[in-house]
Order: sequence, then C-alpha cells, then structure tokens
Amino acid sequence: MIAVPEFFRDYQQRVDQELRRLVPLEGSRVQQSMAYTVHAPSKRVRAVLTLLCAELCGGSATRAVPAAAASELVHASSLILDDLPAMDNAPLRRGRASNHVAFGEAIAILAAFGLLNLAYGELSRAYDASLSGALSALLSEAIGLDGLIGGQAEDLLATDQAITFETLERIHRGKTGALFVASASAGTLTAGAGSDQRQWLAAFAKNLGLAFQIIDDLLDVEGNPEDTGKAVRSDARKTTFVSFSGVAGARQLALELCQTADRALTPFGTRADRLRALSAFVAGRHA
Amino acid sequence: MIDTKRIAADAEVDALRDRLRALGYLDAGVDRFVLAPAHSARGSVAIAVLASLRIGVLGGLLLGPAAAIGLALQLPALVTSVRDAGVVAIYMAVLFGAAIALAALLAASIVTLIARRAGGLLARRGRMVSAIAGAAVGLAALTYLTLLWTAVRGASAAGHPVLWVSIGLAVAVVISLLLGHAVTLTALALIVSGTGTPMRTPGVPGATWRWLLGAGLAAFAAAVVLFNAGGVGAPIDRGAPPPPLTVVSSGARVRLIAIDGFDPAVFARLSAAGQVPALTGALDRTGARLALGDGGGRGQEDPARLWTTIATGQPARAHGVRSLETRRVAGLGGILHADDDSSAARLLRVSTDLLQLTRPSIASGTERQEKTFWEVAAAAGLRTVVVNWWATWPAVSANGVVLSDRATLRLEHGGPLDAEIAPASLYPALEARWPELRERAVTRAANALSTSRMSAADASVLRRSAELDALNLVLAAEVTSGKDDLTAVYLPGLDIAQRAVASDTSRSGTLDTYYVTLDALLTPVVEPGPGEAVFIVTTPGRAGEAAGGRLAARGDAFRAGPSVSATDTDIAATVLYALGLPISRTLAGHPLVNLFTESFARQYPVRYVATYGPPRIGAAERTGQPLDQEMIDRLRSLGYVR
Repeated sequence: MIAVPEFFRDYQQRVDQELRRLVPLEGSRVQQSMAYTVHAPSKRVRAVLTLLCAELCGGSATRAVPAAAASELVHASSLILDDLPAMDNAPLRRGRASNHVAFGEAIAILAAFGLLNLAYGELSRAYDASLSGALSALLSEAIGLDGLIGGQAEDLLATDQAITFETLERIHRGKTGALFVASASAGTLTAGAGSDQRQWLAAFAKNLGLAFQIIDDLLDVEGNPEDTGKAVRSDARKTTFVSFSGVAGARQLALELCQTADRALTPFGTRADRLRALSAFVAGRHA
Repeated sequence: MIDTKRIAADAEVDALRDRLRALGYLDAGVDRFVLAPAHSARGSVAIAVLASLRIGVLGGLLLGPAAAIGLALQLPALVTSVRDAGVVAIYMAVLFGAAIALAALLAASIVTLIARRAGGLLARRGRMVSAIAGAAVGLAALTYLTLLWTAVRGASAAGHPVLWVSIGLAVAVVISLLLGHAVTLTALALIVSGTGTPMRTPGVPGATWRWLLGAGLAAFAAAVVLFNAGGVGAPIDRGAPPPPLTVVSSGARVRLIAIDGFDPAVFARLSAAGQVPALTGALDRTGARLALGDGGGRGQEDPARLWTTIATGQPARAHGVRSLETRRVAGLGGILHADDDSSAARLLRVSTDLLQLTRPSIASGTERQEKTFWEVAAAAGLRTVVVNWWATWPAVSANGVVLSDRATLRLEHGGPLDAEIAPASLYPALEARWPELRERAVTRAANALSTSRMSAADASVLRRSAELDALNLVLAAEVTSGKDDLTAVYLPGLDIAQRAVASDTSRSGTLDTYYVTLDALLTPVVEPGPGEAVFIVTTPGRAGEAAGGRLAARGDAFRAGPSVSATDTDIAATVLYALGLPISRTLAGHPLVNLFTESFARQYPVRYVATYGPPRIGAAERTGQPLDQEMIDRLRSLGYVR
C-alpha cells in the first residue's frame, strides 16, 4: 500500500482552493448539489496530473490550475451522472450518499450540467482565446462520443451482457482514459510544450488511465468499502478486467501498464520523478 | 505437480497483454511514433505523408547500421575505421530512410485511393488490405537484407559461423517485421480515416505474439533458404599469422627495372637496326613472355592495377588496387573503386552522387591488401629500395627505402613529409640535394635525347618523359648504397610518350626516338655487375597493343635459353626466389625456376611458407598535408586521369 505522495498536498490544495472559489459551499440548492460532489474527499489525480505535466514541460503550475480545476469539474459531473438510477443506480460515492440520493434526481442532473458548464467557462475566462479554444476542444473530445459519453453508453449497454475484451477497453478508455489523457495534454498545452512532449505524456496518461481503472475493478472485488467509499461488488453485473484475467492477472497487468507509463517518461529523465511517484501511487492505491 | 490452473491463468494474461499491445497500451512505442501525426483533424493524404516519413526514419535508423556492417565487409577499402563505419551508416540511413519512406508512401497512397473508392466495402476488408500492404513492405525489406548478407558472405574474407549467420538473419527478420507492422498500422489508420468507419475487429492485424512468432519463424526459414540459394563461393581463409621468413641467399643482389609502354614490335625493328643496343642486350636473353591482367592479357591494363599485381604476385581481386582512379566519399578515410560494379558499391555511388559527396582520388597503398615483393624482402631483413612504383604512397619505414609515387611531388613542393618517402630521415638530405639531383636528371635526359627532327610539341613530350625517367634513375642511384639486396625502379616515360603520340602513326619516328633515349638512359643499369641479377619487366602500357609483357633476366644465376610462358603474377615469386626467400602458398603466381641455371635451381630448391601476412599499411607516419590534388593534377597533365 502506497500513501499519497507528500508533494500531492500542495497541488491538491491549489486545485481545491480554485474549486472552492468556483463552487462555493453555500448557495442555491443546485449550487449545494454541485459543491457536494466537487468538494467530496478526492485525491484530485487528474488535476495533479495536469499540474505535473505543465511543470514538467517548463510551464507554471499556477497557470495550469484553471485547466486542472476544469478537469475535476468534468470528472465530478460524470460521477453524478454515472450514479443516477437511469445509469449505474449507485447509492454510495466517496463514502457518502450519491448526489441524487442527497439532492434528488432532478437537482443532481442540473448540478452535473452546471459543473460541465462551469468547466468550459473557467477555461474561457482563465486563458486567451487560442489556448482556451484548444483546451475546450480537448475537453470536448474527452467528454464526447469517444470519451465519457461514449464510454458510459457502451457501459450501460454492456450491463448483464457478455462483452469482448476490446469492448471493455473501449468503455474504460472512454470513461477514464480519455479524461486522463486530456488532463495531461491540458497541462502540456498551458506550458506551450512541443508535439513530442505532448505525445510522450499522452502515452503516459493513456497507460496510467487504464491501470487506474483496472485497480478500480480490483478494489471493487477485494477493497474495503470504508476505504473505497463505495459498495464492494457494486460492479458485479458488469464484466471487468478481473472477469478476463482474474485478480492476480489484473494486478499484474495494472503493474505493467504503470511500468509502461514510466517508460514513456524516459526522455524527461529525473525531472519526471513526480509523475513516476504518481504512477507508483496509482499502482499501489487501495482507495 | 503441475499447476494447470495457474498455467491456464498465465496464458490468459499473456493473451490479454497481447491484446492490450494491439490497442496501443504497454510497449507500443512504435505504433505511437508512427501514428503520432494521425490526428483526426488531418486528412488522409497528410497522414499518409507524415506517417511514411516516420516509417522512413524508423527504416533509416534500423537499416543504416545494418547496411554499414554489410558494406564494411564487402568494401574493405572503403570502410577503414570505426569513424568510416559511422559515416557510412549515416549515408545508408539517409538512403534507406528515403527509399522506405517512398515505399511506405506508395503503399499508403494505394490504400488511401482504395479507401476513397471502395468506402464501406473496404471497412469490412480493411484489416486484410492493411495486412497485405504491410506484408509487401516487410517482404521487400527481408529480401533485400538477406541478399545483402549473401553478398557479404561472398565478399568477406572472414568465416561465417552458423551462429553469426543466424544472428544476422534474425536481425533482418526483426527489422522486416517491424517495418511491415508500421506500414500495416499506417494503412489501417488511413482506411479508418478514409472511410470514417472503425474496424469491426479492433487492433492491428498480426500484432499478437503468436502471430509474430509464427511470421518470424516463417520469415527466418525463408531468409535461410534465400541465403543458401545465393550461390557464392566459400570464404577465403587467411590462416595463421605469418611465420618468420628465413633467407637462404645465393648472395645475388637483385635489380628490377620496370618499363611501362613497351611495344615489342617497335623494339624488334629498332633492335634489328642496332639503335637500342643496351635494351637488346638485356631483353634478348633469357626471359618469359607474360600474360597480363586478370583477363589473361587483354592489354591496356590500368597501370596501378597491373603494377600492383606484378609487385604482389596476386590478382587485383586479392590485392585490392583495382583502378588508378578511385572516388573518395566525403567523411570517409576509405575509397570507392571507380570500376566496382558490385551492388553495394553502386548503391553507395548512387546515394553519394545524388548528394554530391564524392571526389576523385588516386589509388594508394591504403587499398592494398597484399604484401609487395620488396615488403616481403624487407620483412625478412633484406635491404630494399623501391622508386616510383604505383600505389606505394603512403610509404612505410619498415619496408626499407621507399620513394613512393608521390616522392618527387613532395621534393618539388617541399614542406613537412606526408609519408611520401620512407624512412623519413632520408627526406632532409634529399630535399637539400633536390636542385642538384633535378639538374643532374635534366642534363642526363638532354644528353640522351635528340629532338632535332621533330615538332616542338613532340619534343616537349619526350623531354618531359626523359626527365621523369632520368629523375627516377638518379633518385634510385642516390638512395642505394651498393649493398642493397633489392632495388626496384618504375619508369613511366615510354608509356607517357607512347600515349601522347599513339593516335598519330605519322609520329612513329618520335616514339622511335624515345626508345633510343631510354636505351641511353638505361645503359648504366641494365648490365649486371658481379653477383647481381637484373630483371627487366616490360608491359605494353595504356596505348599499346594487347601484346603481353616480358620479363628478362640477366646475371650469373640465369641460363641462356628460349623464353617461357608466364603470367604477371609470377614475377613477384620469381624475384623473391632469386633473393633466397620462401614462397607463400597464398601467392597466385609461381617462381619461374626454368629461368635459372640448373645448378642454381638444384642448390636453392623452392621453399614455401603458409603466408606472408597482411601489409603494414597503417604504420605510415603522416604529419604533413597530403598532396592529393597535386597528384591528380600531375596525372591529369600526363594523361593518366581525365
């Protein structure tokens, strides 16, 4: 078991601060619903990924904070939608009642759209037109048919169905990998990185994203609900990586994916050690 | 007890690992590299061009070093150092990179066109089409690499154990599979981009380890069959290091006069008229008719090639000096033979010519891979002198006194020595006496030459030829001590004169005059003194008829008798035999024992050694500026090079 790296805290705090500015805890019912999910306990892995990639490519973490916050807003929105009765119908999220359980289905849907809307607004306000356009396009692709929406749609259709390994990969790529890659790419864009650097870090994020999801599948099978914040075996009706490879095989593949992600950082040398720490954390996480 | 469940589980994980690789996870670095430009915003043509360029880079990086290794073995005169190998690898990488990029672009363009026309149909057959495109490029690469290895096996002097051949072919298979995979991947991306429809079955065809293993084994088997069907000769084994040479000397000192451009018909006419008494006395004695050149006496042999054959007793394919004119490739210490028609040489010529990276060069000792007779004699401890022989630069001190074919150039230009003369300690004395030696040669030439009844142009040609020959004889006399065991002098004057007047039969009188001049110049040196053996070697030169050459032998050791038939490769062995040296079993020629008296032959039977070993070319001390361009200019003025 690997603890959250120490340097995470600074990055997490910067992003949390920005999120608190964007989504105050007090306010209308919808706003409270938005804040309920956004400020729920989280490791902010996607946001930290954005900040680390920005710094690695010579940019500033401060400049990348709005892009990192946008990633977290999109992620929070997707969690609300995923848990809805029409979707996964999950009662528990991050150790608390799901958003729709706490605020009702209608408010939860509005909160999800509110968060999405806020993400694009944050990008357009924080950056110049060119960069904001590029980041918005990136986010749009991560959310769209090849991203969160496409992945969730395939996931819903696959429930109680036998699916192929490739379909499962597509689901995970859409639901998790796309936003990981977008988060990394957003960091490189704010730093004005070259195409090679973007490619290396996209490869890192792609492998890390799938590893993250495989670990999620593993935690669903053998995790502690108090740690994971969600009910164990909540994915029992779904085909997961564990269904294909067994627990040991899934753990092995997740480890290899993290190692591959690390190899993609080779051109950066030791400057990428923090990203390697992130990868090690993902490989060993228990929640 | 075997844990079958565990084995089955491992197999499942292996299969998943392969499928993840096919989907671009794990170690799919090549896929990411090749398809980096395939953004959705780009059109098919842009993707095809950019991906092809990346495949070209990949191919260049892989095939460049592989081809450099092949060239180093196939053209040893070209690749003389690690640095040369590196430069060749860069050239080859550029060439192969461009060729593979073009091949990939061609395959990608065809796939793009099909994708546009066939649309949905191709979406169903896309995997098959992309696999065919990749297989075509992969097979082409495998065929080329295997043929390259086949050629290398034929050219290399070193043996090729099965292990090394297997490694070479395995590398060829891996490179081919990788390139084939890259093209398959690009074709697939183009089909998806062109039709707008993803494949029904995801992943890249043939990207699983089972498929790769099967394809790799099949490709390896095919490469082995192709390699063995190459039909090349067995490699040459140079054997063990050379043993020390033991001299069983008769006490004879050998002097060898080499006359280029000698026409037996002209000589016979002048000899009958009594105009060339010294040459008549020398050449009408015991001797041998010589078949010249690798082709058996075609005549008009390249002088550097022919005279190195005479000096080494080996054909050009063994001694390595194949033509007077060579080409030097920018950045390389080695040279490229102008007459080399091997596929490797053609390939390099095409690539470097395209980039204007070659420049003319003159044959030198760095290309020679066999010892000359004077080097063998010097290695055995005999005192030797050689003057103006072709391809003797750079001169090596350990080979006795060598006034190379660039020695007079250096004496004319002055400045620090660049191995034109060996030993270097001779240079200061020769340089100091150069004006006097030059004057002596000019005077001797003027005394021997009568130009009263010829045009000014002819007179100029003859004067220059005579001065050159006289200078070489003067220099030889200057550096010999009277105790030298072997002296060899090459005289180019007759060849130069013959070349100048060859096209005009009305000027035959001019050429006759030069025979008379040469006769006068040679009078002091063709008559053997006590205990001396004088060899005179003549060849028809560049403008002469295919009349063959002649070896004449004078001295107490030789019997009187009719000429025998021999080849140019026999001369070195005969000279070495006369000096009392054993004959290398690797020599192409044989000592002409029939030229010697019966008592000499009985007293000194031919002895053999396994080998003389390689020459010490790299041992030359070089400190000054090379006179490359000056050498080219001189040879051009004498009509040797264009």
